Amino acid sequence: MTTDTAKKPSGLTALANPTRFLALVRIVLPYLVAITVLLLAIGLWMGFSVPDDYQQGRTVRIMFVHVPSVWMAMGAYMVMVSGALGVLVWRHPLADAAARSAAPIGAAFTFLGLATGSIWGRPMWGTWWVWDARLTSFLVLLIIYLGLIALWNAVEEPAKSARMAAVVVLVGALNIPIIRFSVEWFTTLHQGPSVMRAGGPSLAPHFLYPLLVMGLAFLSLFLTLHLMAMRNEILRRQIRTAQRKAARGHRSKNAQESST
Amino acid sequence: MTALFGAKYFGFILSAFGITAAVLLALTIWTVLVHKSRLRQLDELEKAGIKRAPRSDG
Repeated sequence: MTTDTAKKPSGLTALANPTRFLALVRIVLPYLVAITVLLLAIGLWMGFSVPDDYQQGRTVRIMFVHVPSVWMAMGAYMVMVSGALGVLVWRHPLADAAARSAAPIGAAFTFLGLATGSIWGRPMWGTWWVWDARLTSFLVLLIIYLGLIALWNAVEEPAKSARMAAVVVLVGALNIPIIRFSVEWFTTLHQGPSVMRAGGPSLAPHFLYPLLVMGLAFLSLFLTLHLMAMRNEILRRQIRTAQRKAARGHRSKNAQESST
Repeated sequence: MTALFGAKYFGFILSAFGITAAVLLALTIWTVLVHKSRLRQLDELEKAGIKRAPRSDG
């Protein structure tokens, strides 16, 4: 094959090169940080300017952090599912790094979904917690996240840990539709869907728009943190490779000295 | 917005926003600190003469 016919890697294939990926992160990150700060400022201003809800009063504002946290908790899991498929099907070199980096961020958003939901539930439902299908399946999501983080850290060999975690991620993905449809399949204390539902959102526009802006702000924050975490993961692998190289050099030097 | 202060359930609203800000800020700071620590480790390895792939990050 001549150089004329050789194709340059493009898209995801091009980003398989960690150096190229790190260069892209370096360019994109400042813009993402600026967009996140701007969207958060607008979203918070809009959220605190809404009138009180006729039933929930002022506590309706908790929705502007609770709902986006829940969206990102499930969104981060879908990123991990993509990473798992990348590991098992396409064997993309950065797929495991993408999945592994999304786990702590997803766990943090899941914790926030549970915590803010509990804080919202106390004045509205009269209880901090109830073992209904939505809350329980969401707690299961947090346990899956923590289990995966432990698995990635427990297995020393990278390729083995990547494959094992990918399988667990795909099995755990069964919980995502359970969370989504739990309020329709079971009788729950948690209300049904009010944004992503057939027939369009049931929320009044003055609540819907701040919620969507906060959703975009959290999405932008997730992307920012995920790129930063992926960069950290790539650097961790470079350190590991360098340390192994140093250890090998040290061993061969010792062997030479002992033979002479 | 000022009507929120001292309102009924103000503590719940403040707690929800407060815990969200605290967790997300902690996560961001932790990620930045890990990055700095990794760069320092790589520099130490390079100073020790351990070569690695060229870095375009920094």
